[in-house]
Amino acid sequence: MAWAGMNWGLFKIIYRHTGEIGLDSGWHEHEFFIFLGTIWIINSLIQTLFMANAAEFSELIRTGNLDFALLKPIDTQFLISFPRINWSQLPNGILGVMLIAHSLSELMQEREIYFSVFSLPAFLFFIGCGAVVMYSVMICLASTSIWFGRNQNLYNFWFYITNFYRYPMEIYQRSGVGMALWGTFTFVVPILVVSNIPARILAQPLGTPWKPWEWGLAAYAIIGSIWSLMASRWVFKRALKSYRSASS
Amino acid sequence: MPTIEIKNLSKTYRVYQKQEGLLASIRGLFHREYREVHAVNDINLTVEEGEFVAFLGPNGAGKTTTLKLLSGVINPDQGSVKVLGHVPWERENEYRRKFALVMGQKNQLWWDLPAMESFRLNQHIYCVPKDEFERTRDELCEMLNVTSLLGRPVRELSLGERMKMELIAALIHKPDVLFLDEPTIGLDVVAQHKIQEFLKAYQQEQNNTILLTSHYMKDIEALCKRVVIIAHGSIYHDGSLEDIVDQFSGDKIVTLQLHDDRSLEAISKIPNLIEIDAPKIKFRVDRDGVGRVLSQILSEHAVDDIVVEDPPLEEVISNVFSQAEEKNRREVETLPNS
Repeated sequence: MAWAGMNWGLFKIIYRHTGEIGLDSGWHEHEFFIFLGTIWIINSLIQTLFMANAAEFSELIRTGNLDFALLKPIDTQFLISFPRINWSQLPNGILGVMLIAHSLSELMQEREIYFSVFSLPAFLFFIGCGAVVMYSVMICLASTSIWFGRNQNLYNFWFYITNFYRYPMEIYQRSGVGMALWGTFTFVVPILVVSNIPARILAQPLGTPWKPWEWGLAAYAIIGSIWSLMASRWVFKRALKSYRSASS
Repeated sequence: MPTIEIKNLSKTYRVYQKQEGLLASIRGLFHREYREVHAVNDINLTVEEGEFVAFLGPNGAGKTTTLKLLSGVINPDQGSVKVLGHVPWERENEYRRKFALVMGQKNQLWWDLPAMESFRLNQHIYCVPKDEFERTRDELCEMLNVTSLLGRPVRELSLGERMKMELIAALIHKPDVLFLDEPTIGLDVVAQHKIQEFLKAYQQEQNNTILLTSHYMKDIEALCKRVVIIAHGSIYHDGSLEDIVDQFSGDKIVTLQLHDDRSLEAISKIPNLIEIDAPKIKFRVDRDGVGRVLSQILSEHAVDDIVVEDPPLEEVISNVFSQAEEKNRREVETLPNS
């Protein structure tokens, strides 16, 4: 929660100096805080449901205790993904909901925001897509422990990668390096899409109706989620083939 | 169809050879040296339904690796295995419901929760109906005398109690095939004996196929008619326990209780003397010469009691391991330098 507070405070300071992130991107202060709340929700979901389990998976590989998961007549990826829930990470998600609610009410006083009966289900659906993509990235990272023997840097890797999905994608579209990052994290590891789409549903930075490319991006978020899950499944199964257990 | 059919099974590990010191660690970042360890080397084995087979071998012989291959935990480099008609490393759920692996050195129960919770989880994972689960659990707990411990956290159980719980957790779904990797390691003789008795009774009742690895010869003597000796990843001998003693122990141990000290003094000059504990004397005799030696002694001395027995199984097996070691050393020496 302290981290969330600092995060919020930092952007509050930044918005003292600028009205918008990216020229004509529409990410003004309230829109951006809706984006930030969305990120907090996805992060909280991942850290509550998967983070501890992924770290535990690396430890199971190192100690050879993955043997017992492989013996059970149940999908091994499922078994190692959900053994425990880390409830202490849930408050950040609740803060995210509160930040979105507050920013949305402020925004609605400034301009018109279009809502339909599909808005909330669509927002939740794309949050789910985001969780799926981030889970897939985490499983891929954790699976590398099978090849490397141990992977104590899982949290570091996670931090580096999630650094790129915490901002509106427009910030990457001003330079060659930025475009390369945007392309990588949109089409190869689609983490940018799944954080931007749900935020755009509520914040509507470019107003309504959505532009055609925004619809395309939403469709790609769904495809990207499916592709990420399939890719993580492939990496996981491939890694299991190389599993060598540990001496007893 | 045999329950377990292994053909030309091999598994080789590539092991990083790290030298001592910081410089070597830095060098290792750029140039790594590996050594190949042939954990399992071209094994062929068939086990029929209802057999209780012992897998013996020195540490690092490949026993546990073979069990892990049969359980589908690891994939082989070459060869084929069928257990109950399934290829283990395809990890079909249908196969995984039919076998269990118990490892004496590893704990698969939830450490902080009572064993009962782990049993319940296994019930759901293995889809055991509630009535059947409760019946099996109660039967097993009664056989192992641990009913009163079901509610105690696993971390508070003794090693023997924990191993009994491990066995119950593994047997809750009534597996057709059971792989036991040193299930009595570290246990005191009482706990060892209890587990031996339990395994014997359970196997007779269920007629399941069991592969057991153990370094305790008492386990092997009590439970297994067939013994497979594995050394350096290869099967060195496959036969009955009696065969092993006959084949690998050329001697018998004779203990005489003599009537007077004069006889003791005379016989004490016999070759291969083991010990004298008057009025008893213990010595080794070549198997073929037992009759001749005894008739000669009996004709010259008064003997109150005679015991002729095989050497301890530990000693026989140790001889087998030494011979296997020697054979492997010779094979390595005769390999052409490549």
